[in-house]
Amino acid sequence: MSFPLVRYVLMAALRDKLILSMFVVLVLSSSLSLFLASSVITEKDQFTLVFTASSLRLVSVLGLVVFVTFFVRRSFDGKDIEFLLSRPISRLNIVFSYVFSFSIMAVCVSLALTLALYAVAPHLFGMGHVFWLLSIIVENIAMVTVAFFFAMQISSAATSVMATLGVYVLGRLMGQLLGIIDSALVDSSGIYAVTLQVVSVITPRLDLLGQSSWLLYGYEGNYFVFALFQVMFFIFLVISAAYLDFSRRQF
Amino acid sequence: MKTLTHDQKIQIYIGVFLCLNFLMWFAIRHSQGHWQNVPPVPDKAYAALYGLGDKSFSYRLNGIMIQNLGDTGGRFTPLQEYDYDVLAQWFFLEDYLDPNSDYIPYLVTYYFGGVQDVEKLRPILPYLEMVGERDYKEKWRWLAQAVFLARYRLKDFTIALRMAKTLASFERPNMPGWAKQMPAFIQVAQGEKKAAYSIMIELLKSSSDKLHPNEVNSMKIFICSRVLEAEEARNNPLCVDIVQ
Repeated sequence: MSFPLVRYVLMAALRDKLILSMFVVLVLSSSLSLFLASSVITEKDQFTLVFTASSLRLVSVLGLVVFVTFFVRRSFDGKDIEFLLSRPISRLNIVFSYVFSFSIMAVCVSLALTLALYAVAPHLFGMGHVFWLLSIIVENIAMVTVAFFFAMQISSAATSVMATLGVYVLGRLMGQLLGIIDSALVDSSGIYAVTLQVVSVITPRLDLLGQSSWLLYGYEGNYFVFALFQVMFFIFLVISAAYLDFSRRQF
Repeated sequence: MKTLTHDQKIQIYIGVFLCLNFLMWFAIRHSQGHWQNVPPVPDKAYAALYGLGDKSFSYRLNGIMIQNLGDTGGRFTPLQEYDYDVLAQWFFLEDYLDPNSDYIPYLVTYYFGGVQDVEKLRPILPYLEMVGERDYKEKWRWLAQAVFLARYRLKDFTIALRMAKTLASFERPNMPGWAKQMPAFIQVAQGEKKAAYSIMIELLKSSSDKLHPNEVNSMKIFICSRVLEAEEARNNPLCVDIVQ
């Protein structure tokens, strides 16, 4: 790991006003959730909390993915990567330093999200928030890693963002899609169902993470650790794939 | 004929499209979107898709939609025009998404329960009954609300009594004595005063030491003034301190 490189990436995040823009989005999303929740006839605080959590979860992934993708593409287009390769730093170090820097950002953003949840409904704060925070940290790290991978592979930043968001939506919906196969609403041995089963093997089960019901009633279930490990293994899979590609690339 | 310049041709096109816009405005000025009544209910397997796989988020999104049903383009639809059969299916779906929340039961009881055509209440009573039977916090009160709707709005004593007996059979912490007395209240209204008397006496025997003295007195007053006839009350030792 190259700490000067980590510092360089984090400085870039500050220069790009990622922190400032995330803060503005945080305030706007929370305000919109408060406004929406004020129209319901009861359980206003619960509505505020769920809307804030759900919208911020989405917005934080969007913000991180866009930053990571454009930063990595800029590093390639601006020959920063070629400059780094000319220095005494291995390709593995570069990959790990980038992923580590993006992970620090993901942790910071996740903490900011949880602070916002505490701010909108402090009396509902409990252990469920801790489970939610842990799972959102892992989710955000997974998404910055995927964004990093696609940005390394695809030369168009817009296409990389779309591909990353595709993985995100698939990860969020995978539980439901597998549920549809299990519910006998479709032929579970058909080509689409079988394809989906295969895809689900390498899809992070984000639907099992960050459930807003935990914020209201506390964590219920016994899959939390498995879900975390499933996503963490997925992260290492993506990092390995990114490194494999980067190590073979000719400049 | 004089040849038109490029600019003049464009001006003519603008004029023609402006006229067409004006004509269309006349055609649709007073048209409004038509509310298609309560939308069909998705299968449980698809229910959480609206919230990107988050059941609780889907519950809240659907909840706001259900609360604001029929309010379109500044117009309001009377509750009696709602399809309550489909509405009840939404309530059951919502219960699947979040069985702990009281938002939908509240909405059902205090908002949709106010429908002018009381026959429309029938499909929603099983929902309140199901929620009220759940042993979670103060859920029993939704069953009490269902009894009220059946007894006083729908005036279906058979359903009301069946639900009241279910409610009375619960042993829930903090459930007040009146919840156990509901079958008696309904039987009095039905004219079955002997059955009501038995329930109240049994309740007094089994629970009077756990109830507040005021509540015990209220039960005695109910027995002596509502369940028993004046002559019976005078001869009943229970009513000695109450009947003058």
